[in-house]
Amino acid sequence: MKYPALLLLILLASCTRKNMEELGPEAHLTTPFEIEPPHYFPVLDIPANNPLTEEGIELGRRLYYDPILSTNGPLAGRSCSSCHDQVTSFSVPTEGTAVLPHVNLAWSQNFLWTGKVNGGLEDVMRFEVNEFFQVDVSVLQAHAVYPGLFERAFGDATITNEAVAKALAQWFRRLVSTDSKFDRYLQHTEMLTDQELSGMMIYLSETGDCFHCHGIPLLTDNAFHNIGLDASFTGADQGRFLITGNPTDLGAFKAPTLRNIALTAPYMHDGRFATLEEVVEHYNSGVNPSPSLDPIMTKPGQITQLLLGPQQKADLVAFLETFTDDAFITDPELGSPF
Amino acid sequence: MITLHKYVLTAVALAFLITSCKKDDPATPDPAPVPAVSNTTLLIEHHIDDVPLTYDTLRYTNAMGHMFSVTRLEYYLSEITLLGTNGTQDLVLPGPYYINGTAGNRFDLGTLPAGEYAGATALLGLTAAMNQTDSLPNTTENINMAWPVPMGGGYHFMKFEGHFLDNGTSNGYAMHIGRNENLPVCTMPEPFTVASGGEVVLRFNLNQVFREPNVYDLSTGNYSMGSMMLMGQLRDNCANAFDIGYRP
Ligand code: HEC
Ligand code: HEC
Repeated sequence: MKYPALLLLILLASCTRKNMEELGPEAHLTTPFEIEPPHYFPVLDIPANNPLTEEGIELGRRLYYDPILSTNGPLAGRSCSSCHDQVTSFSVPTEGTAVLPHVNLAWSQNFLWTGKVNGGLEDVMRFEVNEFFQVDVSVLQAHAVYPGLFERAFGDATITNEAVAKALAQWFRRLVSTDSKFDRYLQHTEMLTDQELSGMMIYLSETGDCFHCHGIPLLTDNAFHNIGLDASFTGADQGRFLITGNPTDLGAFKAPTLRNIALTAPYMHDGRFATLEEVVEHYNSGVNPSPSLDPIMTKPGQITQLLLGPQQKADLVAFLETFTDDAFITDPELGSPF
Repeated sequence: MITLHKYVLTAVALAFLITSCKKDDPATPDPAPVPAVSNTTLLIEHHIDDVPLTYDTLRYTNAMGHMFSVTRLEYYLSEITLLGTNGTQDLVLPGPYYINGTAGNRFDLGTLPAGEYAGATALLGLTAAMNQTDSLPNTTENINMAWPVPMGGGYHFMKFEGHFLDNGTSNGYAMHIGRNENLPVCTMPEPFTVASGGEVVLRFNLNQVFREPNVYDLSTGNYSMGSMMLMGQLRDNCANAFDIGYRP
């Protein structure tokens, strides 16, 4: 019995040697985890003080799926996964404010519909932990396994809000989707149908002009735009204006990624559209002018319509459906650990 | 950075070689060493005529008489060439530089040869070699500047967007330039002297983009991306939109 354990230790030690060397002799043993997206993805910025490790990701995953995280807080009884379900790209259909999906947020700098939080994943996780869930770390500290898991991930069994945020940030970096049909097309391993190709041409030219805000490969430009859903704005529909107070931000919201968009109905910040057809019709004929309408929404000739025919609209929807990544929504490693 | 250092190094090495070759010839005196200035920076500034650019409500007026605002300004500068005089040589700064009107746009230049320069030239955009899909590193900035493959590929040279007042109605404009034919070549004929450590300042007067040789009409040119004619006008107008100076 002793020998296999020793062997395992040696093996483990050799896997983790790199981290040991970098962090010095005091460092605990962790296993580095590499994210290797396709070449057309932007480089991943990972903060030096929160390197990706298998132990950190596993801890983050568990926290994400565990309702213990909300104990004694305003959302008691829920886990992150209550509203962010893998089968719908880590979102869930709701009434009211639409739940943003958790996919490829490692490349995001602006979070939440209004961009209330800017920075990196650690920053938005601090918000989720401290303000949204108001995590009571004493509950985790008193738990049978969590102190040991934090020790393994961060070398310290004392659980802090910061450590919870860091573990969740690592988990979010793991939520990478790069295997949609469109990705396989970009990698020359699968062809699109004629209809999808026609939709792609509309998307990637001024005919549909989707690429300016939902460009390849992230399918979001990470910026805020008023796309003319309304002509005047009250309450939550004021969007980014509520954060900046700048009149040019009235009605502007974060452009969400269109990855897995076919799975995340209803659409827009308030879920006002039930189908992708309705979304396309909005861009085609439903844009409301207002002084803060994004300049890109005014097309040549100062019109706010695309003038697409029925076939073009259907083609565009068919192309949007190629953004679905089945591997991502069925990957057991991204599912619940419980 | 790397290119510049290489340049300076090569120059030094070359100077060394030349001097060592000439050592045997007692008639030729050693050339005076070119003095260099360290800790220099490149700074890009944006103005609407004499007013520094702010992202704000409709407050500027262009040559056509349209009131306008700016909501986005992103572009590349490449092949910035400081033009030498008798004492100095032409110097191509590294690049391309991605510029965003909301950013600081300050870039470390390290050491520059001191002396008088006759001005500068620059490309507002990318050379044909760089202007190809995937040729720039995949930063989020570069990705958002991509010019889609179905429209010819490469990158936007510039995105200049905002609102303007047309007969009392506020409307959007998006002046985008791309495609090699439309690459603006900017000339900056202002002489300047690099002395002590300081900043090479390039000033972009955005109102010049509306002014000459074409008085640009936003009411017919609110969206330029699909129009070679509009992009050609913008290209020509950008040629004189920059000036250069040195701030010690
Ligand atoms: C009660 C439902 C609910 C729960 C539980 C929940 N979320 Fe969310 N989440 C939302 C909604 C709704 C939004 C969009 C809100 C907004 O932007 O104002 C959102 C947005 C986000 C975003 C921003 C995504 C983006 O694209 O900007 C992040 C990050 C996030 N949630 C993380 C978490 C984490 C971490 C947890 C668990 C600690 C969690 N959420 C639990 C409903 C929920
Ligand atoms: C000017 C930038 C811009 C352009 C151009 C644009 N979008 Fe959007 N898109 C947005 C923003 C911003 C939102 C979120 C708006 C909101 O909820 O208020 C959005 C939302 C969407 C949604 C719903 C996303 C969700 O998760 O609810 C879809 C689908 C969509 N866009 C598709 C398209 C298509 C197709 C085109 C081209 C016809 C297009 N967009 C052009 C900025 C843009």
